[in-house]
Amino acid sequence: MNNYSNGKSFIFNAEISVQSISDLYGDDYTYVEEVFETVLKEYELLTNNINSAYTSRDILALKAAVHKIKPIFGFVGLLTVQQQCQQFEDTCHSASTFDLLENDFGSLKNSLTKSKSLIEDEKKKLELFNNQRA
Amino acid sequence: MSLACIIVEDLQVAANYLEKCCEKSGQVVVKGHFVNVPDALAYLNENTVDLIFLDVEMPGANGFELLDQIAFSPKVILTTAKKEYAYNAFQYNVSDYLMKPFTYQRFMEALQKIQPSQETVSINNGSDHIYIKADGKLIRLNNDSILYIESMGNYVNIYTEGKKIIAYLTLKGLETQLPANEFIKIHQSYLVSFSKINSIEGNLVNIKNKPLPISRHYRDSVMQVIEQRLLKR
Repeated sequence: MNNYSNGKSFIFNAEISVQSISDLYGDDYTYVEEVFETVLKEYELLTNNINSAYTSRDILALKAAVHKIKPIFGFVGLLTVQQQCQQFEDTCHSASTFDLLENDFGSLKNSLTKSKSLIEDEKKKLELFNNQRA
Repeated sequence: MSLACIIVEDLQVAANYLEKCCEKSGQVVVKGHFVNVPDALAYLNENTVDLIFLDVEMPGANGFELLDQIAFSPKVILTTAKKEYAYNAFQYNVSDYLMKPFTYQRFMEALQKIQPSQETVSINNGSDHIYIKADGKLIRLNNDSILYIESMGNYVNIYTEGKKIIAYLTLKGLETQLPANEFIKIHQSYLVSFSKINSIEGNLVNIKNKPLPISRHYRDSVMQVIEQRLLKR
């Protein structure tokens, strides 16, 4: 026994919606691990696009880049971050100047950084869990 | 029902998940996955599919631009959800939206909306013409304008003088609609207008310089019709 398994099922980090993961993948933890791995592979490119749009102060590009990364949080059960992305998109839509986005962007960037670490940790734990079951 | 589809999606995790849903359904065969519109278009210029799972916002051209450029009208399921696409979706006859990520149950609901048999209608009540649905409209085709028809899986290519029309029909369906005394099947994949045959040489029928194969299965029935009209001393 360990802190991420009760022997039969995987115990996800509290930030992750277990219901959402279960709805999408059932108890196919091998596939869940694959999903987390794929998300991590795409993460850098997607966040680079966000940072690049922010640096160039291009609201439309920033909105599009956040829209693009948004669903990946749904795939890994991070529904709060997914929602935060949607709110930021809405803010981009209504913002008359780029300066109005700065506070919200800081908060979003912080979430993106934390989420990456969380996904990395969960991927490692899933790998261990799946290896132990094999 | 087995539908040939492609996935046009630049998010890898979404494309993989969609592919898994297709495989699990046993109803959809994924012919390809493309991460941008130009690559998908290159494929669709050479191949037809029944269904496209289409993301709208992709780098470069968007998904609707792909639909503008293809020569036929497959069913489309959008894998994005934005209210501002609703008008376009209506114009392009989009069957459903899937908000990423979607459950397998939701995927199956979208799939149930795909009804291949209702995609294209052809009507012939023994008259000298048929109507086919292609490119989002009903096109009248006089029987005597058709040179030959080629089967392409769930689609057919209808060749007339200087024009090719792609329609969501089966060759078998067309064979029953067109007059049997004017059209003859020479191969599992070809139905030809008898009056348009220029020559027959060996196992090839020639129509407007296009050689078409006569299969062994249909050779006797083709030659029987020819014999009836062959002038002899």
